[in-house]
Amino acid sequence: MSTTASDAGTTPPGVSVPELPPAFQVSKREQKTLPNWALKVAMAITGTFGALFLVLHLVGNLKVYTGAEHFNDYALWLRHVGEPLIPANGVIWILRCALALCLLVHVTCGVLIWTRGRAARGKFPAKRNNGFRSVGATLMPFTGCALLVFIVFHILDLTLGTQPIATADFQDHTETAAFAYQNLVADFSRPWAAAIYLVMMALLSVHLAHGLFTVVSDLGAVGKRLRAILIAIGGLLALAILLGNASIPLAVQLGVLK
Amino acid sequence: MKLTLQIWRQENTATSGHYETFEVDQLDSGMSILEMLDRLNEQLIHAGKESVQFESDCRESICGCCGLTVNGRPHGPQPHVTTCMQRLRMFTDGSTVRIEPLRSASFPVLRDLIVDRSPLDRIIAAGGHVAVPAGTAPDPEAMLIDHTHVERALDFAACIGCGACVAACPNGAAALFTGAKVTHLSMLPVPSVERKNRAEHMVATMEENFGPCSQYGECANVCPQEVPLTAIASLQKERLKSFFAARI
Repeated sequence: MSTTASDAGTTPPGVSVPELPPAFQVSKREQKTLPNWALKVAMAITGTFGALFLVLHLVGNLKVYTGAEHFNDYALWLRHVGEPLIPANGVIWILRCALALCLLVHVTCGVLIWTRGRAARGKFPAKRNNGFRSVGATLMPFTGCALLVFIVFHILDLTLGTQPIATADFQDHTETAAFAYQNLVADFSRPWAAAIYLVMMALLSVHLAHGLFTVVSDLGAVGKRLRAILIAIGGLLALAILLGNASIPLAVQLGVLK
Repeated sequence: MKLTLQIWRQENTATSGHYETFEVDQLDSGMSILEMLDRLNEQLIHAGKESVQFESDCRESICGCCGLTVNGRPHGPQPHVTTCMQRLRMFTDGSTVRIEPLRSASFPVLRDLIVDRSPLDRIIAAGGHVAVPAGTAPDPEAMLIDHTHVERALDFAACIGCGACVAACPNGAAALFTGAKVTHLSMLPVPSVERKNRAEHMVATMEENFGPCSQYGECANVCPQEVPLTAIASLQKERLKSFFAARI
């Protein structure tokens, strides 16, 4: 369909306006309700929020090296932070809700972008000539799906203690005591569980490395130095999360943490 | 030198295509890929067969007319060089070279190696021009622009619109092309007056015709004018600025 002067109602009667050549016709394909540029921004913001949570989670995890008592105290504090202004478990539930919302938005946008990309490419195979960047970008949907499964696994394993994923001697927290350290050590003592966590941390860091690189462009960082700094921060963050988190199951397997 | 060519043949958009194999002999390593196709067509015409249809114009890397996928890579094996400037010395003597049109769902094949790249023109028609009355040329030095700033704007203006970025993109996105156009115009004083509407309309038209960008970076890898990936960040920035611009 073309937009000609007659559509606009400016043509005098009896005058026929020739069709515009295809290049100048206004495309009448349906405008997307959720435009791609907005999906990308939404993914960037929710992804950054997720990455910041992961940093917080990493700092918490590393407290495991300060001993059982300190680690368990930290786990208990998480449930009582902000009291008496905020009720017990308040902060932890606010964080959980926010993260769940971010995840929902992130996954929805990701699925839309992926399907739209496949449709726009057509039936031709994708070309990959850009090294690590290509691999990371190509793996995004797969690392993303793996992470989604892992999140469920991780919650069943170390938060809810659901059998058979969690260990038989999983101890839930009480009002006054937490057993995060004991649960963690018991969990990672199983070689297969330690292996799952190690593999997942590798996939997570691949997802983060490309994701945080993408954030820089999606939020419109243009300056050379700004881009370089942000890309470096993203890369270091992905590496820190990999090394920091992966060290824990390794430490348990090697007998450093008992 | 001698090369075996697997060339995509397709009657028109409606029919499905296939590869046809040809052997071309007595080639010179200094010849371009297009000159090799010329040689092939001479052979075909001489034998009374239908020649292979392909697009070319300036053959000096400035018109953006040529563009083939050579061995799975838009323009050819050498990065940042148009098909017309890719030399046969990159191929070993006696090897097989596969030549197809630029591949994207947005670029329907018109005939053999020729594709319809008018979706790119639609993006330009949506705002890649100056529509405000710019008046007569101002007095020299009446409007000062920093030299390096102009050079940077011209780096983005260097885009020749060949469409290799779209063909290289696993998502069939035209973000590098649109980014280059939007950025170069928003960096200069007169066209920047319309930057808000330009970003909105060009991005909308781009999204109607092409896929979303996932930062694979393949586009910048093949771009014959070496437009940097920053163009895509700049496009997002312009679109966001347009979104948050005050509309009273």
